[in-house]
Amino acid sequence: MDCEKFDRIVLDLLYDELDELTAAAAGRHMEHCARCRAIGSGLRATREVGTLPLLDPPEQLELRILQAEERATQLLPIGKRLGRGLSLLAGYAMRPQVSMAALLMLMIGSSLFFLRAQPGDREHVLVTERGVPESDNEVVTVLPKKLEAPAEAPRAAVHPAPSPRVEENARRDRVAEAKPEAAPMPAAAPQYAAAPPAQAQAARGSDGLGASSDDRELESSTEASSDSDASYDAAMAAYRDGRYSEAQRRFDEIASLGGAHAANAALYGAQALRRVSGCPTAAPRFEEVHSRYPGSVGSDAAWQAADCYRSLGELARARQNYEQLSADPSYKTRAKEAIAELDQRVADQEAAARKAAAAAAATAKGKPAAASAPAAKPSASSK
Amino acid sequence: MAAVPGDATDEMLMVRYQRGERKAFVELVRRHNRSIYNFVLRQVRLPSLAEDVTQDVFMRVVQNAAEFKHEARFLTWLYTIARNLCIDQLRKQSHRRHASLDQPQREQGDQSDAQLLGDTVADANPQASAERNALSSEVRSSIVKAVDSLPDDQREVFLLREVASLPFRDIAEITGVGENTVKSRMRYALDRLKDALCDFEEYARALR
Repeated sequence: MDCEKFDRIVLDLLYDELDELTAAAAGRHMEHCARCRAIGSGLRATREVGTLPLLDPPEQLELRILQAEERATQLLPIGKRLGRGLSLLAGYAMRPQVSMAALLMLMIGSSLFFLRAQPGDREHVLVTERGVPESDNEVVTVLPKKLEAPAEAPRAAVHPAPSPRVEENARRDRVAEAKPEAAPMPAAAPQYAAAPPAQAQAARGSDGLGASSDDRELESSTEASSDSDASYDAAMAAYRDGRYSEAQRRFDEIASLGGAHAANAALYGAQALRRVSGCPTAAPRFEEVHSRYPGSVGSDAAWQAADCYRSLGELARARQNYEQLSADPSYKTRAKEAIAELDQRVADQEAAARKAAAAAAATAKGKPAAASAPAAKPSASSK
Repeated sequence: MAAVPGDATDEMLMVRYQRGERKAFVELVRRHNRSIYNFVLRQVRLPSLAEDVTQDVFMRVVQNAAEFKHEARFLTWLYTIARNLCIDQLRKQSHRRHASLDQPQREQGDQSDAQLLGDTVADANPQASAERNALSSEVRSSIVKAVDSLPDDQREVFLLREVASLPFRDIAEITGVGENTVKSRMRYALDRLKDALCDFEEYARALR
């Protein structure tokens, strides 16, 4: 440090506003420089002795100020008073207690919201084959009374249930048919969708409105669809009761007529045929349904066909179907598992075959050892 | 209303006052009315006028409380208000053909007031009270006279540094000049004070 720099920082040194390093450098410079030492000590002595004496303000000054403040606060313009009130509220709002209370209220509110979003009794909860509860939409809007009847449980226990996809499709079809009825009167839609056709008819008749031509058209189309529903329900009833021949005949009729139930009827018809005649006859039918109805019904049919092939021992064909199904997201996991199971089965079969061959070879070795001379004879004779 | 903790910073108190806590303002007044009063008194020189100006300073705080920014330093803001009000008062006094600010009080025949200030000194720095009590009344009087005789710009820098204990950076912000200019003014003020004190024994003792 030189004298010029010392002059620049001497006041900072005097009032302790220097960092430690610079203060130490200034101290070292003062030790060697008489001029700067004299300046530094002179300023320090001036500050020590020349401290300005301070006077105490009059005692009433503080009181005067506070009284004036009180008056001024009362006379504050509305804008400033509002700003102060807002600031006060914001200050309280920023406190952790308030934010915690707000969070608690939010949690309670959202809980109530979710509770209210699931109305209706929860006595009947349908589950899929894999034990997963069915979605709310299916339960609330579609469930026909017949499916909720007590006969349902024994049916599910006695008869192997059709795959969940088939049930789902059947329900979806019924919803699709119920929707056009409900469309003109949205308020009544849930009633109509959930009630059987007869009840829906009654409900429409009691709404006090005159039967216009549109209504009549709707009624005629509804009648046709209710006939179709009735025959489908009859076929399903026959299937559930184990009258598979009748069920097959009815399902085939519905499938041949076409309509909303045709795909499911074809699939159920093939299943009924399997019950009646077994897999050799049913497998081609499943394949036919698979090729005719692409989509979920077709995939179900392919699955059933593969199942038949497995039971018939046609593992290659079964594997081919499973490989096709592995492209379907809803069957992907199951198809892969089935393929792995098939591979294991094939491997087991091959291992068993090798073992049998080895056993046969061992048996064959034991015999030729005893009868080696006769075995040489043909070779000698062949020459 | 919650009690105001003694270790709360001025800025925290001001924020609480903005929210309507009057106790925060009371605490601010208790902390700063003495130094503000002395700063104003050394500028306007009349005790009664200094009381009025000090009150005005705090009223400005009340009226403009909503405009105080949380990141600003309260003391800088407070002394900016005090300085502006002092300048207003000095301007009024000069219009009334009162004495020039550069004119020493002794020359105005107001020596009794200066002596009174020197005789009734209060302690700005309690740690040095023993030493200060030992100072003769003559030294005190000389200090007051030397400060009063300083030019306005040097005196305000000296007072902001010694009475308000503000760092040079904040003084530069308040006075609106560069930090080096502030230090230069302070150096001149100290040199003048040194000239006024160099004949006293206390100064010679401190020099050793």
